[in-house]
Amino acid sequence: MFKGYSLLKYTIKRILQLIPILFAITFLSFAMMRLAGSDVVEQKMLNTGQVVTDAQLEAAKAQLGLDKPFLVQYITWLNDLLHGDMGVSFVSGMDVFDTFISKLPATLFLTVTSIVLTVIISIPLGIISAVYKNKFWDYFIRFFSFIGNSMPNFFVSLVLMYILGIKLRFFPIISREMSFESVAMPTITLAIAMSAKYLRQVRTTVLDELGKDYIMGAKARGVKFSTTLWKSVMRESLVTIITLLALSIGSLLGGTAIVESIFMWDGVGKMAVDAINMRDYPIIQAYVMWMAIIYVTVNLITDLSYRLLDPRIRLEGTDNE
Amino acid sequence: MKGIKKAVAFAMAMALTLGAFTGCSGSKKEPTNASDDGKKTFTFGDTTFNAENEEATIDPHEAYCGWACIRYGVGETLFKFNDNMELEPWVAESYENIDDLTWKVVIKDGVTFSNGKACDAAAVKACIEDLVAVHERAAADLAIDSIEADGLTLTIKTQEPKPTLMNYLCDPYGCIIDVESGNADGIVVGTGPYVATELVTSDHLKLVKNDNYWNGQPKIDEITVLTITDGDTLALALQNGDIDAAYGMAYANYPIFENDDYVFTGTPTSRAFYCQMNYNSKIIQDDAVRKALAMGIDKEGFVNTLLKGYGAVGVGAFPDNFSFGGDAVSTVGYDPEAAKTVLEEAGWKDTDGDGIREKGGKTLTLKWVSYPSRQELPLLCESAQATLKDIGFDIQLNITADHGTIVSEKDGWDVYAAAFVTASIGDPMYFFTTNCLDDSPKNRGGYHSDELQKLAEEMNVTFDPEKRGELAIQMQQQLLDDNSFIFCSFLRMSMITKANVTGLKAHPSDYYEFTADLDIQ
Amino acid sequence: MSSVNRQVSVRQLKVKKCNTKCRLIVFATLAICLVAVAVFADRLCPYDPYAQDLSLSYQAPSAAHIMGTDAYGRDMFSRVIVGARASILSTLALVCIITLVGTAVGTISGFIGGKVDAIVMRVSDFFLAFPGLVFALAVAALLGGGVLNAIIALAVISWPKYARVARSQTLSVKVSSFVQAAVLAGDNPPQIIFRHILPNIFGPILVTAMLDIGTMTMELAGLSFLGLGAQPPIAEWGSMMSSGRSMLQTYPWVVLSPGIAIFISVVIFNLLGDTVRDYLDPK
Repeated sequence: MFKGYSLLKYTIKRILQLIPILFAITFLSFAMMRLAGSDVVEQKMLNTGQVVTDAQLEAAKAQLGLDKPFLVQYITWLNDLLHGDMGVSFVSGMDVFDTFISKLPATLFLTVTSIVLTVIISIPLGIISAVYKNKFWDYFIRFFSFIGNSMPNFFVSLVLMYILGIKLRFFPIISREMSFESVAMPTITLAIAMSAKYLRQVRTTVLDELGKDYIMGAKARGVKFSTTLWKSVMRESLVTIITLLALSIGSLLGGTAIVESIFMWDGVGKMAVDAINMRDYPIIQAYVMWMAIIYVTVNLITDLSYRLLDPRIRLEGTDNE
Repeated sequence: MKGIKKAVAFAMAMALTLGAFTGCSGSKKEPTNASDDGKKTFTFGDTTFNAENEEATIDPHEAYCGWACIRYGVGETLFKFNDNMELEPWVAESYENIDDLTWKVVIKDGVTFSNGKACDAAAVKACIEDLVAVHERAAADLAIDSIEADGLTLTIKTQEPKPTLMNYLCDPYGCIIDVESGNADGIVVGTGPYVATELVTSDHLKLVKNDNYWNGQPKIDEITVLTITDGDTLALALQNGDIDAAYGMAYANYPIFENDDYVFTGTPTSRAFYCQMNYNSKIIQDDAVRKALAMGIDKEGFVNTLLKGYGAVGVGAFPDNFSFGGDAVSTVGYDPEAAKTVLEEAGWKDTDGDGIREKGGKTLTLKWVSYPSRQELPLLCESAQATLKDIGFDIQLNITADHGTIVSEKDGWDVYAAAFVTASIGDPMYFFTTNCLDDSPKNRGGYHSDELQKLAEEMNVTFDPEKRGELAIQMQQQLLDDNSFIFCSFLRMSMITKANVTGLKAHPSDYYEFTADLDIQ
Repeated sequence: MSSVNRQVSVRQLKVKKCNTKCRLIVFATLAICLVAVAVFADRLCPYDPYAQDLSLSYQAPSAAHIMGTDAYGRDMFSRVIVGARASILSTLALVCIITLVGTAVGTISGFIGGKVDAIVMRVSDFFLAFPGLVFALAVAALLGGGVLNAIIALAVISWPKYARVARSQTLSVKVSSFVQAAVLAGDNPPQIIFRHILPNIFGPILVTAMLDIGTMTMELAGLSFLGLGAQPPIAEWGSMMSSGRSMLQTYPWVVLSPGIAIFISVVIFNLLGDTVRDYLDPK
């Protein structure tokens, strides 16, 4: 049996595991982007279509420290980081941490709206689908879930923009400020694909539970089916659903590169794509670290919520000790 | 079973509520250009106003930010280019070339900055001195030794003969700004019809009209410039009415706007799409191969079909709005049959029947490098690949953002398709010094011509524009005779506006967009 | 992750199996047809998919060109058929690779346990935590664009998922009585893995793989859409959609044809995946 003490110990242990992952990931991303050839100076030159002399090019690189050996660059970066300085963007010249923080609210907002919409769509429809298994409503819902699950999101974005933005004029095309009107189309785009996926998972989970013996037992004892459904099935299904949601929140917090770019939603994902295109190493590093932190946190929260929701489950990683 | 029905009904009600919520939350939005207090507003969508294009701010003394400064009507240069890329007075009245190293510029009387301060010679001096102190490219271009200001007269001395000094001062970095007002948040004070009030890098710029404007009364009260990097979003935003005008629309979207609701304003520019030959490659060294390549690219088809006619077919390095451009030079045209003959005669024959020619055990395979950030280049490359295949070439395309690394390796490529603004300051020499001479930074293909070197030396000390034009013709013809460059087309820069927008006109230099004439009905 | 971790109820297995079998046959046939189109693409397309004729640029669908033509006057129908090769065959190759590698790593790691297991799980953590986009872009930049390199990029970041599934299955099978019995009977580890563990974890892994085909098709298309996958003029659905995306309003057939092709294939593979799951693991 676990006590509060071991739960805390477990949490600390998991957070400590983040450190080597952060090291390895930032090093690898640094190495890979560095090996990838062209750098930010050349990218800028290319974008403006103008030419600078080799001497100017070298001077610009030297100014950014790009002329130094790769390891020196990484260690310099790491050293600055340990002193709380994430550097400045090679492209805009602005502080990386400030830039990153300024992009975060947009991504958080989009994450919340699309998760809420996904939950509202997928849980009820998933339950309907499971309860009416292989009946009309099941096929009807699953048909649309297949469609939603089989269309690339850039395609969904364009179609939504065309129908909701141009034909019906419901929403603005460009998401200017953080209002529900602006966030509607990116939210719907993301929710369509996620709902389609999670609807199937909810259906499976509920079917799993419905197929278990205790349901039969409850039926035999004359317990009302709706009571069983809400009290037992939902409670048991919650573990799976929470895991799924945690994973989705994680991937959404990392920014949805394509959707954010298409809708000009000024979030973390768009920032990452722009930074990668420009080889803006300091921003890429911030993004990679953010992704790693999300990953570890989401896993930790999932594990902990398992433990809280279902005391029978032992925490992964503790069974080896 | 009643229980299930209840559960299902509840679930469906939730889904329906949601549908109603999303359906209603978007009230129908009718775009309007008059705000509640009767102010005229204008919204402009631009694909390139961002940090990636070195336009992080509108401070002309920083990187390429001068482009935004001049385009959006905040800053103005001493002189401006006319449609033939010749200099006309703007902030300055006139200039005089005293001797090889000395220039005298007279500033117009009555020009003021948007903060009301007079723009006299002393202010211009302060601005240019700050420019050369902080902007390396400008410092190298201008090579200024000293500046003297006296009332409205400015005397500039250069360190070496600079026949094109006045042209360089009309580069966007030459925008005259009030350096005393500083550049907080990247916003500067210029002499133009609009004043910047708010700037968020790579996102938007807000402008209000300059009530102190020295050259007429601006008609729009408030302008917003939005950075919209995605071409499809740009098109949809213009259709939806979120923006009133757009810069950088994709060709494929043009047909949507070819109707009475929209107006195109276009102009040929000197941004050339061309192929550069790598003389380090054995195959390319063969004169017949280069000639066949020049004859095997369907420039007309590329411009008329793939670019939908929004472009000009290239002959030499400059478009035909220049006296030394267009038909002033001549080259071989698209002629696949003649190209085959040229190759046959040079010994390139298809002996194994696979459609690709060989000679001396070598197949006619060329590594062709280009990059995707200019939407025209992939179209050109794919089209050329097919037409050249009919002649017997095997073209291996590598269209990558990493092209810089590849072309810097001597053996990594054979042909390089690229885009280049050949006459950004209205003078022809820039193209040659950058791309074609022995010490040119971009002469990656190792091209060398004795004749061209000689002409270039002459050009460097020639001040008379007419004589420079003649030299430019001879130099281009040399490139074309050697088939060391194939000039395929010139960009036709287009802006698309809603039909009620007037006074927005594309300019061959690509510099000037918002003027006091800009209006919306 | 845990959705495949289910118990089989023998009672219901018999009831539904017949119905499921019919569906399995139908969807499997459809999937085989798709693969056949990909394999025999050369013989099926009416025109040379790479032959350009600018005078035929942007022809609307007609009897001669049932899906119209693209900017270069190439026949879209032929390009969609040939595109099946790059899209479907590479997806299948990708799924095979990650399934094999992931299963091998996961099974061994789960079977051996202890330090090895801990290390393998940290490594898989590392790959799962690494942003896929950064990785794909770096691979494209290092090795150049191309279908093969896109497969490599996706394979490197996708295998840990299979390793996790295989590991958790192995852990649950390892403690079962028949494996314990085999250990007591003196079977060596390879024998146990091949005779007892693999056959028992095969189902969940197959289901994961089948359900992943659709997702991977879209991921590959997504990489091509971002310009990191297939290079022009190679016909591949994702890159065809990417180059045609701005034509949605003006020449919709250029983007809809490959879009519908992706859609149909993903639907078929998803239906097949679902059915295989129902067949092996009915509820």
